[in-house]
Amino acid sequence: MSPIAEQAVAPPGRSDLLGWLTSTDHKRIGTLYVITSLGFFLVAGALAVVMRTQLARPNSTLVSPHAFNQLFTLHGTAMIFLVVAPFAVGLANFLIPLQIGAPDMAFPRLNATSYWMFLFGGLTVFLGALTSEGAADSGWTAYAPLSEIKISTGLGQDMWIVGVFLVSVATILTAINFITTTFIYRAPGMTMWRIPIFAWEMVATSLLIFMAFPSLAAALLLLFVDRHLGGHAFDPSYGGNAVLWQHLFWFFGHPEVYVLILPYFGVVSEIIPVFSRKPIFGYTGLVIAAFAIAGLSMGVWAHHMFTTGAVDDPFFSFLSFMIAVPTGVKFFNWIGTMWRGSISLATPMLFCVGFLMNFLLGGVTGVMIASPPIDFHAEDSYFIVAHMHYVLGGGSLFAIFAALFFWWPKMFGVKLDERLGKLCFWLLFVGFNVTFFPMHLLGIEGMPRRVFTYPDVGSFPLLNSLATAGSYVMLAGVVAFAWNVVVSTRKRDPVGPDPWEANSLEWWTSSPPPEHNFDDLPPIRSARPVFDAHHPEIAKGGAG
Amino acid sequence: MHGQMWPSPATAQASVLANDWLLFGTAGLAVAVIVWGLILFSVFRWRRKGQTEGPLPPQFDSNNPLEIAWTAIPLLIVLALFVYTYRAEADVERLAPKPDVIVDVNAYQWNWTFAYQGGPTVQGSFADPPQLVLPLGETVRIVLTSSDVDHAFWVPDFLFKRDAIPGHPTSFDLNPSKLGTYLGRCAEFCGFDHALMDFSVRVVSSSDFNRWRSAHHT
Repeated sequence: MSPIAEQAVAPPGRSDLLGWLTSTDHKRIGTLYVITSLGFFLVAGALAVVMRTQLARPNSTLVSPHAFNQLFTLHGTAMIFLVVAPFAVGLANFLIPLQIGAPDMAFPRLNATSYWMFLFGGLTVFLGALTSEGAADSGWTAYAPLSEIKISTGLGQDMWIVGVFLVSVATILTAINFITTTFIYRAPGMTMWRIPIFAWEMVATSLLIFMAFPSLAAALLLLFVDRHLGGHAFDPSYGGNAVLWQHLFWFFGHPEVYVLILPYFGVVSEIIPVFSRKPIFGYTGLVIAAFAIAGLSMGVWAHHMFTTGAVDDPFFSFLSFMIAVPTGVKFFNWIGTMWRGSISLATPMLFCVGFLMNFLLGGVTGVMIASPPIDFHAEDSYFIVAHMHYVLGGGSLFAIFAALFFWWPKMFGVKLDERLGKLCFWLLFVGFNVTFFPMHLLGIEGMPRRVFTYPDVGSFPLLNSLATAGSYVMLAGVVAFAWNVVVSTRKRDPVGPDPWEANSLEWWTSSPPPEHNFDDLPPIRSARPVFDAHHPEIAKGGAG
Repeated sequence: MHGQMWPSPATAQASVLANDWLLFGTAGLAVAVIVWGLILFSVFRWRRKGQTEGPLPPQFDSNNPLEIAWTAIPLLIVLALFVYTYRAEADVERLAPKPDVIVDVNAYQWNWTFAYQGGPTVQGSFADPPQLVLPLGETVRIVLTSSDVDHAFWVPDFLFKRDAIPGHPTSFDLNPSKLGTYLGRCAEFCGFDHALMDFSVRVVSSSDFNRWRSAHHT
């Protein structure tokens, strides 16, 4: 009996609360990850709106410096560790077994363990806000010696260390699960070169996690030892080395940037072909580019340290420049997919086009600051804030919304409303650019990042007010999304297995899929088996 | 005081850096406009009109010569940019064998000390940020360190910053090329009052500098 048929006779899982709390089903864990990361997104986004309100006018006293420092520390920590990465993990949990025709992840209980470690790690970071000295306030980068106990005396910093440590271990466990599942659990016919691009990007992402996150975990442990067990790893007054923290942190931190973007390259690579009614252009090139980016990204960490005077700038500059090449390949492949297509601008596709437009600017400014002479001015200014938000906000976040609109019917069995979806897109797109474009100019004019206030001179007040106004428009976009969820859930308009006429195997089974995923599978003879089944006249090959 | 408007390069090094900004800004904008154009062109040119789906468009999915071209051309562009940037950085970071003035700069939460080798030492207060006085056209060596956490010495009109890391002193040269007073600030987040950790730089003529130096010598 095949593993799929075996699963089909297993008793159905409980659908009550206890069922969700104890589930090892990859779809439920994936859904929990997605919902949890959206919850953290709402909190982290609200913190950003408070920061933007403080910065709307010069010399504002709405929040104290101490509170502001906690705000940006929590905002950054949450967006990176608790939103953009775990949303991808949730999506991959839900999708990878479905896309490769498997009944579940390779290690279902390890999978559940990862989720609960992630949730409690995230809560631990935030619960630091309830301690007497407040939450951690040394930035998401927690540079030592600032984060050492002599300076950051509060318990909040310790809770940050413990929380982020839990999240990093959870992420490593998840990476093992993704790699094993994709390599071992593919259905008959699903050869490596037929795996959907999203699953490929998750393999590359998982390898990066596997190499990078242990460095973060080690750095966090060392910092904890410094703070409570008499260590002096990062304390120069006892022979420690402050530069060491930056090396350990960025050895994780730069691959992490690609952990936060490669999955979303996968998302748009899945969505663009469906709404162009064409196969993905340059499948092989996209896969090679993903691994080229992953490989190069292990050797660029010290471009975050150009201004330290402690690293070999040209080496790291060269490798950083090189990343532009495979990233460019991806862009051209996406354009090649749309070229001469039959393009529908449904909401998921709109968000993909928004992703391309925004991320391109983030990529261009990325090449600029890979040049040390430019970085000498841009580093730690609002130019970096703009660049990084164009990559992770305009890029990853727009792909998150594309994914939500695209896979929502598969996850929950109902489509999200199209008109509210388009409203959400335009509010977010306009709001995003009004918020973050002026920050390039603020940085060039000399505004450092992570400041709770600024003087009333030059165009600082104008550009900052503009950015704040944009953030309120983005907030309206998020409200439109929440309203959409309420409306669409109430309407209860069930969809069939394949509402978008899509390509990969998750669209073969019902929406939402049964616990065992598939009752049967179509023949898998190309990278888009569902399309082949619906278009036998075009389907590639015969028995091949 | 200058420093909160569009920066205007005020050192010899800053002129080199400004050229790098100009080159990369222009090249980056050109690439962005071309690719944005291609994206929007594809979307609008092949957008499906109306609800009817019609026949499937051509199902092509690769084109080897094209794919090689769009790998090779960007590779050549970034190699050229790297060579340029490598030279620019070497120019900016070159240390003179015999600087005219050496200043030991110490950053600490949340202020600066400017100790001129051979005197004087300038110490600011929170209400009255310290001023670094520099002679026009001479070579000034800054030796930068910190006595507590990481900071960064940033003068926007110099288009340059360097981190002040405890236990890791670093040096760089400045050749002031324009008279005036410029705002400087800490760029690396350093705790509670990071936002207010300012200083100023006043570039004066050589003779004014010597007069200032002897007047403040103790």
